[in-house]
Amino acid sequence: MEGASYARMPRVKIRELKDDYMKFELRDTDASVANALRRVMISEVPTVAIDLVEIEVNSSVLNDEFIAHRLGLIPLTSERAMGMRFSRDCDACDGDGQCEYCSVEFHLRVKCMTDSTLDVTSKDLYSSDHTVVPVDFSAADSSSVETSDGRGIIIVKLRKGQELRLRAIARKGIGKDHAKWSPAATVTFMYEPEIHINEDLMESLSLEEKKEWIDSSPTRVFDIDPVTQQVMVVDPEAYSYDDEVIKKAEAMGKPGLVEINAKQDSFIFTVESTGAVKASQLLQNAIEILKQKLDAVRLSEDTVEADDQFGELGAHMRGG
Amino acid sequence: MNAPDRYERFVVPEGTKKVSYERDTKIINAASFTIEREDHTIGNILRMQLHKDPNVLFAGYKLPHPLQYKIIIRIHTTSQSSPMQAYNQSINDLDKELDTLKSGFEAELLKFSKDY
Repeated sequence: MEGASYARMPRVKIRELKDDYMKFELRDTDASVANALRRVMISEVPTVAIDLVEIEVNSSVLNDEFIAHRLGLIPLTSERAMGMRFSRDCDACDGDGQCEYCSVEFHLRVKCMTDSTLDVTSKDLYSSDHTVVPVDFSAADSSSVETSDGRGIIIVKLRKGQELRLRAIARKGIGKDHAKWSPAATVTFMYEPEIHINEDLMESLSLEEKKEWIDSSPTRVFDIDPVTQQVMVVDPEAYSYDDEVIKKAEAMGKPGLVEINAKQDSFIFTVESTGAVKASQLLQNAIEILKQKLDAVRLSEDTVEADDQFGELGAHMRGG
Repeated sequence: MNAPDRYERFVVPEGTKKVSYERDTKIINAASFTIEREDHTIGNILRMQLHKDPNVLFAGYKLPHPLQYKIIIRIHTTSQSSPMQAYNQSINDLDKELDTLKSGFEAELLKFSKDY
């Protein structure tokens, strides 16, 4: 390829990593790339979710479509989704979504026989594929000792004699189609702040004034060093670009007390996953999807050829 | 119900080209690329990448209407380059950047899981 390369060399540093949560730094790139990654993670990384429900018996208090909607919103483990096919372009089936390449079948059969109410949960869903099952939250967070009793997500409550029997088909999809397919609970990024305190000006303040100034920040960004009684930055990332401390400094007659800049090429990301894919895998999938999207927008050969002919003609006309 | 199918937002209809290219008839080295079924995700990264190219005099994108699922990227270059060359270059550069990011993240993930 002719022409110089203007590719950047971005760097990543992981700060915190859990199955469903990740915090990392992204440096030496542009906000457009950071935002593209965020957008892709939210709406274009595929997952599997229940898309078709056939209700056999429903004598519960919720109507059929209400239950179908609730089923759709249950996150299913989707590590395999990147390799699956969308049922609309699956060759192995007629698009009825019952083949191994594009869909997974679920069954649910519950009837309440006792006097106490029975909770129908995501654990009552039986999958035909052990790799695609409702996300188990009790295992992911073992620190909170059985807060949810490990019972899964409640779909409906049944009283004595009520029954729910259904068959559901889960398909691959993306968040752009319906939010139920979004693997991301939240994805955020912020510019890394650079905070410089004007030490000379700061020392012209009394201890009370310093405390007053520190308290003007809605988040705890600054504090007083207990030994030297100097104002120090304790957590620059707690700063929410609210300008409160700058306004306060001006109101105190000390403009320029602190200078805060957003580093235009450094970002702090937080990624929270629904549990459908791991947070780290979510970013990897997003990079892959973005690469595929870029590849799809390359000019096709026939467009280039058509332009070459036109180009010669154009050059001839201009030159003539 | 006459609502259009939701997948119309991201599936290119049969017989439609994903990318079409149209030269400007009045200005040399200026052209518009119409990309079907794409949005700000692609439009903005391409635009910003094109701005890094010193041969690009103008690069911009627009989403003409929220219900028309296409974007238009307009590029104007110097005579040293051409819109098509700049467009291809920007895609290659972004692809390279994402490769760096991918391998960088994989290495970091390995290091992180070893350290902790």
